[in-house]
Amino acid sequence: MLTLEAVEKRYPDGTVALANVTFKVPKGQLCVILGPSGAGKSTLLRCVNGLAQPSAGLVRIDGVPVDRLSLRNIRSSVGMIHQSFNLVARSSVATNVIAGALPRVAALPALFGIFPKIYKRKACELIGQVGLSELHLKKRVSELSGGQQQRVGIARAFMLDPRIVLADEPVASLDPQTSADILALLAREARMRGTTVLCSLHQIELATAFADRIVAVRAGRLVFDGPPQALTPEAIESIYGSGNITRFPSPLPSGARS
Amino acid sequence: MSFSVVEPARQPVAEWQFPKPFGWRAVLIAALAFLLLIVTGHRVEMDRAAILTGQAVAAATGMGGQSQVATGLSSIATKLFPLQIDERMDASRIQNLDLNRLPFLAHIETETTRTQTLNPQTFKLDTVVQRKQVLVQRFGYVFTVLWKLVETIEIALWGTVLAILVGLPLAFLSARNLIANRWINLACRTVVSLFRAVPELISALFLVLAYGFGPIAGVLALAIHSTGFLGKFYAEDIENTDPKAQEALEAIGTNKLKVFRFAILPQVMPQYIAYTLYILDRNVRMATVIGLVGAGGIGQELKGRYDLFNYGHVGTILVAIFILVLGLDQIAVRLRRAYL
Repeated sequence: MLTLEAVEKRYPDGTVALANVTFKVPKGQLCVILGPSGAGKSTLLRCVNGLAQPSAGLVRIDGVPVDRLSLRNIRSSVGMIHQSFNLVARSSVATNVIAGALPRVAALPALFGIFPKIYKRKACELIGQVGLSELHLKKRVSELSGGQQQRVGIARAFMLDPRIVLADEPVASLDPQTSADILALLAREARMRGTTVLCSLHQIELATAFADRIVAVRAGRLVFDGPPQALTPEAIESIYGSGNITRFPSPLPSGARS
Repeated sequence: MSFSVVEPARQPVAEWQFPKPFGWRAVLIAALAFLLLIVTGHRVEMDRAAILTGQAVAAATGMGGQSQVATGLSSIATKLFPLQIDERMDASRIQNLDLNRLPFLAHIETETTRTQTLNPQTFKLDTVVQRKQVLVQRFGYVFTVLWKLVETIEIALWGTVLAILVGLPLAFLSARNLIANRWINLACRTVVSLFRAVPELISALFLVLAYGFGPIAGVLALAIHSTGFLGKFYAEDIENTDPKAQEALEAIGTNKLKVFRFAILPQVMPQYIAYTLYILDRNVRMATVIGLVGAGGIGQELKGRYDLFNYGHVGTILVAIFILVLGLDQIAVRLRRAYL
């Protein structure tokens, strides 16, 4: 259970990224965060694992408040998937995935690249589950396509069996088909393990297709919270403003939720 | 929600001013720089250097005239050649020399020297014939030089190894994106700058006083200076890495050392290899120089022979250093091609 209680984030220059955001995400839910660029989606995600410190309010994970004392323990149980994958391009797929286990392995062997057998097996299992093969293990990440790179990113995020996975626009740099594949993979992996997923997205049709629940922020405030079915054109207008809808054709495809 | 609309152009496109490549300020700076070069060039006698070199070229190509530079260079060249290849030693000075069992590639020559001395009784010049046996070891001096070269490379290697061992932690601590404490950054940067500010030749002079003649002073002198170099280059590369991979590992609570090993080191490895190879190459060349102040290696041999006016030996040493540097360059090129 992830709880945000009146979370507020104010940057030193006075801009308010989040204002009084309160909501709960029950265990195992895939919660998509929508909102225009700069609405505070990334900040919201980063407040969960302490990459950003809320100016006021509290984030709790299974009742434990996220603060300086608990941060170390909490971070290793919160996986993260990034918009630009954030992998080490020159390192192999195997190294990138097993790096997800770094917080829990002894430092000295790790410095020589030696990992416990459980983690090596775990990395292989995950690489298989995200749709890559043994042939990819030794390949450099830079040799992979964007979609394959994000598969590596997903495998890395699940290395330590996290309670929560934060996905910060995981498909923003991928084509529509690959985006759908990647989100389907993320949803499958999370459901299999009962992992809570907090995922920010730009594509409304993908959100309605994969989310259990949609939360929307606009200018740092919560403007929508409900199931995908509740995301009516009026609701979309309240999230993105009327300009978008009248100027561009609706991104909603017919019968989006599969 | 308000939308930012692009403002329409106020002026017609035909009247737009395309940015100029440089303005009057750049011209002024170029003129000042040129003036500075003229003044300083005269002060360091670059004009005289041009005249002397021109005279030397004229003399060498047979266009006539006298040249102090040409005569100087040719006298050096004639002194250095022929190169000293064999080692010659007075046999009577070698203890326990068994003439029946000479060392490999060695033979005995008999040298005859005639000296004329004034006989105090007869007041006549007498010719005194002296014969002495000389042990000639074929290629003996070449082997000596090779052995000294090996010692030089060893000094350079250890100077570089120590520089890596000290420079890498200093770079780690002085990189602002890894250690967020400004005071630690500043302290390490200062230490690295201090190391870099000490020229090898100067530190070797003092280290020879502290540790005595020999390779210890050489290794330490090289290590101090190259730590200054590597510490700076390594740190700058760490700061120039793409922060995304680092952020991904920090987001799951990985400590700095592991972040360095898994997010930063893979990114900087090609440059690190290039820098380290360059420093090794440079240390080999510097190791020959610091031998001049007694810090071991081929330089010490060079200085000794130069002081004894054994210019043939000096020639051999110079040729050997030249071949070494050339060979080293080839190895470095191959290594770079293989790993970068």
